[in-house]
Amino acid sequence: MRLSVAAAISHGRVYRRFGLSPRSRLDLLRNLVTALVRHERIETPWARADEMRGYAERLIDYAKRGDKDERAMRMADFWLTEKDLIHKLFKVLAPRFQPHPGSYTRLLQIPNRDGLDRAKMAVIELKGNPLPPLVRPRRDSDKTLLNQLLKGYRQDAQRAAAP
Amino acid sequence: VLVLVRSPLPRLRALLQRCWGRLERGLWPGVFGDHSLPLGPAVAVQGPALVPQGINGSGGSSAEAPRLLDSIVWMAAPKQRRTIEVNRCRRRHPTKLIEIKRNIDVCPECGNLKQKHVLCGYCYAKVKEETRLVRMEIHKKEGGPFNAPAVETVVLYEGEKPTEKDEGKRIIERARKRPSWFVQN
Repeated sequence: MRLSVAAAISHGRVYRRFGLSPRSRLDLLRNLVTALVRHERIETPWARADEMRGYAERLIDYAKRGDKDERAMRMADFWLTEKDLIHKLFKVLAPRFQPHPGSYTRLLQIPNRDGLDRAKMAVIELKGNPLPPLVRPRRDSDKTLLNQLLKGYRQDAQRAAAP
Repeated sequence: VLVLVRSPLPRLRALLQRCWGRLERGLWPGVFGDHSLPLGPAVAVQGPALVPQGINGSGGSSAEAPRLLDSIVWMAAPKQRRTIEVNRCRRRHPTKLIEIKRNIDVCPECGNLKQKHVLCGYCYAKVKEETRLVRMEIHKKEGGPFNAPAVETVVLYEGEKPTEKDEGKRIIERARKRPSWFVQN
């Protein structure tokens, strides 16, 4: 039975280390979650966005329980430092994501930051936000083999159905 | 050599005696410069006065220098110059070369280059600018800080009317034509 962990081995640890201490890491992520709920799209380093994503989605799951729930209200009170966002969370985001079973956020990577550190940046946004879309969904071109075969099949069906 | 020292305190006198003793024994090389054995005989003279002072004494005084050299810590240094062939092998090893990226593509919207798993820089800059302008309008509408409304928002461009889907939503107006890439739902 291993009673102590050797230093510099971190097998199986899921949480990244941020800031000055574990409390500081939670404060940092809390600020990011508040910013995401306020602006619905933020641009931050990729590691922070990835870490924050889980907390944001669990917060929305708690909000879906309804604002009469004591635990949900306490969670929202801790995670959102700006208290007018608690109203937005329960009245806007919970109904918006009620039909979805999960995955309320979208995380996309951006070209590296322009400064000296060239950090790996990402943009994280809530789905269904009113802002201009980041990625246009592309339909396959009509010239692909599968699409040409389907077009031929549709034409044959129409010719058979017409007379 | 006669030295007349007026020593008012016994401490000072003891100190001077110690310093003089060190000088005599040659353990203070800084005073007379870089002589290996200061105060040694300047002239080679035969005589009983210059018989080596016994085994212990001479062993002690002549082995001072090698003992000093033994106690210095010796550092590693290369013995031979590395040839250019060996240097080339080390510098051009595959692990040291920069990896070539094979995941660069052309963005279908604007034609700039982009990495496959990353958003196109040009298209993202376009969207970022438009988002910034929309946020400025939101800020003007809200007035101050901490005024986030408890209703959804919808962005309408010039000449657009809110549909029946945008019933209870807050409307943000942008004074320009709708861009082609922002499809209205």
